Amino acid sequence: MESLIAAAICLLIAVYGAFRAVIEKETLARLPFVNVMNFGIAGAIVLILPHPLTLVAAAAYFIGSTLEANAIASAYAKRGGT
Amino acid sequence: MIDSLVILLLTVLITLGAVATALWKGPFDKLIGLSIITAGIIPFVVMRGYLDVAIVVALIVPLSTIIILLLLGRPVR
Repeated sequence: MESLIAAAICLLIAVYGAFRAVIEKETLARLPFVNVMNFGIAGAIVLILPHPLTLVAAAAYFIGSTLEANAIASAYAKRGGT
Repeated sequence: MIDSLVILLLTVLITLGAVATALWKGPFDKLIGLSIITAGIIPFVVMRGYLDVAIVVALIVPLSTIIILLLLGRPVR
């Protein structure tokens, strides 16, 4: 029960990051808040279920989502910001 | 009670991502919206205990995003 409170706090941070990412006007200003949301979700995946394999799932999600956000930023910058 | 709060927050995340993906115009913005939807879906898969499915989905979705980015990088003709 206490771990679910910690997961809810992580999810609150994630929802705040998603709201800020939606509210922002420019694409490059959205990507740091998408990273904040990804960190919050990776913490919530660990805390939401007491099982040893959740650590592997959270590591896979963390690596994949960070790679995704940075690949979007790199392609956007390489294309010239259109 | 706190369990329903977790479910409510994940539903807010998925709905926000879906509406934003539908309304944004640029292709990079749509990819950001898809990443928000994925962030909402994967904890639902973890909550039911399908951890192998969650691992595979978390590794396949960034690969598909990178393939779409390779298609976006070339000039339109």
